[in-house]
Amino acid sequence: MSDKKALVVDDEFHIVQVVSIKLKNNGFDVVTADNGSQAYDLACETTPDIIVTDYQMPVMSGLELIEKLRQNDQTAHIPVIMLTARGFAIEDDQQEKLRISACLSKPFSPREVLQTIEEVLNQSAAV
Amino acid sequence: MKKESLIWIILGGSCMACLITALLAGLGLFPKGLLVVSVGTAIVCGGLCVFFIRGHLKQLHKMSMSLDSQVLIIPADFRETVLEELTLAIRNFFGKSHDQLACVQEENQSLNLQIQLMRRRKSNVEEIIQSIQDTVLVTDEMDRVVLANESAERLFGFIFDGSNPRKISEIVEETELLSVITKIRQSKTSHVRHELTFERNVGPVTFDTVLSCVEDETGKVVQVVTVLHDITREKEIAQMKNDFVSHVSHELKTPLASINAYAEMLVDGEAQDEETIQQFCSVIQSQAQRLSRLIEDILNISRIESGLIKVNKETHSLALVIRDAVEMIKSYAQEKNIEIISQAPILYDQVYVDRDMISQVVINLLSNAVKYTPAGGQITVQSDLDESDGQVKVTITDTGVGIPPEDVDHVFDKFFRVEANNKYAKGTGLGLNLVKQIVESVHGGDVFVTSTVGQGSTFGFVLPLAAEKVTQTA
Repeated sequence: MSDKKALVVDDEFHIVQVVSIKLKNNGFDVVTADNGSQAYDLACETTPDIIVTDYQMPVMSGLELIEKLRQNDQTAHIPVIMLTARGFAIEDDQQEKLRISACLSKPFSPREVLQTIEEVLNQSAAV
Repeated sequence: MKKESLIWIILGGSCMACLITALLAGLGLFPKGLLVVSVGTAIVCGGLCVFFIRGHLKQLHKMSMSLDSQVLIIPADFRETVLEELTLAIRNFFGKSHDQLACVQEENQSLNLQIQLMRRRKSNVEEIIQSIQDTVLVTDEMDRVVLANESAERLFGFIFDGSNPRKISEIVEETELLSVITKIRQSKTSHVRHELTFERNVGPVTFDTVLSCVEDETGKVVQVVTVLHDITREKEIAQMKNDFVSHVSHELKTPLASINAYAEMLVDGEAQDEETIQQFCSVIQSQAQRLSRLIEDILNISRIESGLIKVNKETHSLALVIRDAVEMIKSYAQEKNIEIISQAPILYDQVYVDRDMISQVVINLLSNAVKYTPAGGQITVQSDLDESDGQVKVTITDTGVGIPPEDVDHVFDKFFRVEANNKYAKGTGLGLNLVKQIVESVHGGDVFVTSTVGQGSTFGFVLPLAAEKVTQTA
């Protein structure tokens, strides 16, 4: 897979780095942010094909970021995968309402992240 | 003398007088005119005598008739036997009556004892109900409160008067409770639990409420017993436990996620050169150390709270402890171009402490100051001796971002993070809580903080001097 752009958002530098390397090694063009607000600006600026975001972040959380993305016609269509270290999962209705494509729990496998991204992108392409 | 006897004497005397007069007249010794009067008087007196005698005879006849109807006429030959039997019967009758009387007295005594016992039991049950911490309310079929303990009086703000039962709706405002009492009575069920929350001045109070019906011998519900057990604190503790697990899980998963991801990348050959391999290994190591520190912090707090931590107290100079801690944190501060100024002269500031623990307190406060102070800032460490109060005060002042006023009182709380400052640094929210536990719980000191947003914060602690401690112990 090539020519796909991914936005990786996490306030943990090491998480951003490891996901970015995995995606770059597999042909993605990667942009990164360490909070929701910065990620929103980047999403508007670069219009990535997919966004991988943490749930709990300073300034603007992952959920707030997605809510804002969905309100903007330019970014509303972008599929989002969420990484969360919370002790409980996101409610199903919330996931559906915000059109979150997948939720992965920390600790996660970079392989699993890549596989999920590819599946989501394939589904988006099919639609 | 009776009136009747007097009449008889007068009448008898008059008759006699008349008869004597008539006799004397017959012999010619009395004048004829007087004779006529005497005879007339004798006739009138005789008539009156007959009238009186007849009245008495009538009374005697009545008495005779009365006797005939009531008294058994006993044949003469059986008289003695019958009299003996009658005597025996009378004796038996009175004997039995005496036995029955004794029996009745015994039963009466027994009933009195039972009444006393019942009264004592009732009083005992009432005392027990009064002594129960839970709220107890008993309502009858008319929805009147027929029993309430002191806890109920406090909760619903009324005075219970058993002689003048009031409607529960006049006492209890909470419609949910009134509704469940009605439902329980209608359904005739027992031991039904409801969780009810009442709004009070102290805030919402939650009760585990158990309701039961009391039925009479016909199966009719005559009373409903309602017991309310305050579970507010239990719920708070449960919530705190949930929050703790959620926080701990989040904090533990973050470094674990890095370790897992980088290890997998190494296994998958994603690190394509030696430098990247080294970098991945370095991340795994640092994240493992972070995880270890976090677990140690959690365990230390838990040990202090449960009183299980091993404390090794000895007399140390606090200035030396501060000096060593400043040395340890200096390189970290230099990375951010932050200057640490130490004003902790080595005086007679001997404190009776666990050195490692107090060292951790100073390191935690210093590293916090470095975290939230922008590059080029300054941190001042100062220790002041107050011999009059027998204590030493340590203050660490930074030129950092400061803490919003609404958060200042919570910075020592477990897992508390200042939301506004999350962007400046990461943390678990355990460091300052550990400082508080070590200073206050283990060493009997005090922690304090003052802060101004945009200007900086001052964190510090006060410890008793060793000499003071020795004096106090002595």
